[in-house]
Amino acid sequence: MKKIKIIAGISWAFFGLILIIILFPGLNSYSVSVSKLPFMKLNPRYSGGEIAKRIVTDRCTLDIRKPVFNGFIKERNNGFVQLDWRGNISELINDSIDYDQDGIKDFNISVDRKNSKTVLNPINSKVKDVIISTRTSYGWAVRVGIKKQL
Amino acid sequence: MVNDLKIAGTRKSLGKSLLYTLPMFLITFLFITGGRPNFSDPSSAIAVLTAFLLVNVLYFLMHFTGKTDRYRAVLFIIFALSLSYTLIHNMLEVRNSMSFSQADILECKIPFCHLVIPMMILPAVFTKSIIFPGSILNGFANISTMIVLWLVATLVLGRGFCSWGCFYGGWDDGFSRFGKKPLIKRIDGLWKWMPFAVLMMVMLTAALSMMPTYCSWICPFKAVTEFEQVTSVESATKAGIFLSLFGGLVIALPIMTKKRTQCSFLCPLGAINTLSNKITPFMIKIDKNACNECFKCVETCPLYALTRDDIKEGKVSMFCSKCGKCVDACSKNAIHYGIKGVPAGTLKNFSRNLFLFVSFLFMAIFSAGSIIASFQGLLKLIF
Repeated sequence: MKKIKIIAGISWAFFGLILIIILFPGLNSYSVSVSKLPFMKLNPRYSGGEIAKRIVTDRCTLDIRKPVFNGFIKERNNGFVQLDWRGNISELINDSIDYDQDGIKDFNISVDRKNSKTVLNPINSKVKDVIISTRTSYGWAVRVGIKKQL
Repeated sequence: MVNDLKIAGTRKSLGKSLLYTLPMFLITFLFITGGRPNFSDPSSAIAVLTAFLLVNVLYFLMHFTGKTDRYRAVLFIIFALSLSYTLIHNMLEVRNSMSFSQADILECKIPFCHLVIPMMILPAVFTKSIIFPGSILNGFANISTMIVLWLVATLVLGRGFCSWGCFYGGWDDGFSRFGKKPLIKRIDGLWKWMPFAVLMMVMLTAALSMMPTYCSWICPFKAVTEFEQVTSVESATKAGIFLSLFGGLVIALPIMTKKRTQCSFLCPLGAINTLSNKITPFMIKIDKNACNECFKCVETCPLYALTRDDIKEGKVSMFCSKCGKCVDACSKNAIHYGIKGVPAGTLKNFSRNLFLFVSFLFMAIFSAGSIIASFQGLLKLIF
């Protein structure tokens, strides 16, 4: 039994040695494998949610993302909807948004990019406030706080 | 005389030390230089060569002098300093500031660090998603790569990760070496269980808030890496907490106690790594036949992992990070690196050689990138 323990311990130690030696040359492929695990995707609270609708104009693109209410066990009452403007955006953005895709506009939003001023005019009472409005590497992004239920 | 006895056990002749360094030399040459050193850019070539020589000289000295912690700590501290330097330098160059913006969070561009891992666990299980604004696979310090590195290192080294792989640990390790004698000699050993309480707290609060709460509110190392832009009372409070904890747990207390207090009393990942010590093949063992119970090892242990009772019973607690400080302090070579299943007092040199190769190789390659980048930065500053 003692000998078996010794052999098992030394084998485990050598296996550790091999693991460390092959770790760095294969790091990229191991990382790709790990990234494919079912839980390896960003929570919508961080990614902003899936794109629900893309509005393309001559100059720029507006992505309206799906509303995010994700919580730990169940959905929360308060969430947000993210809007991304990409491309050649004008200095003054002014758009009416139907975030829940029911055919009725839910809010108007205007962004003065030069002065970083954002004004929200809620039409739907579920729309609360501007959480984030910021310049991004691709253009401009806004997160508007919304309620799930009244 | 006693030191001679001890050193005779682990130190090697010049030839043998060179022979033991050869595999490290070849492997680090491949990884650090990419096998084809590029001499077209002199500052890059000098930085690469310096980093390569640094790790190999330190590894050689570990064998030649028989001392472990002394040379491990040099690389460990340089790693921590260079990583902070590289991060701050990049931030200042790219963003003109040490703080990250809302845009960085929205675009998920925040570098991932291993301290986030405990907070990811519950949300990953229940929501099958990651609660961190970083990149899953692309870019610097992406989530997948950092998880692989931590997972393998923890599996092989256990809590050894905290002394051989953590790029923050060098900060309080460094400050704990200031001064000759500790100003505070006694801290209740019960405090070493504190990281488990922090672990539970951050796991639960992160799951409930869907936010990495430790990073957002507690992490002392935000003070030397990056933090949220101060734009409100909340962000100012956070910055105040980061700076206070860094000043208290990473600078002041380590100097006063000569212990790694942040690692011992706060780090939640340290708690997980502590548990992983149960499965790792490498451990510190006590040869009771050789031990004269001088308890120098207990005094020198920087993580409160050893008690007098542990020594009398001939066992080392799971809090051990295998830094080697106790091994260096033992004049009888009674406390030594060992392998699970192998009785204490046997295969001492074999176990040490194997552990040193594995752990030092990990640290050398993991740290090389940031050390080279900081050397390059320093060269640019000088010339």
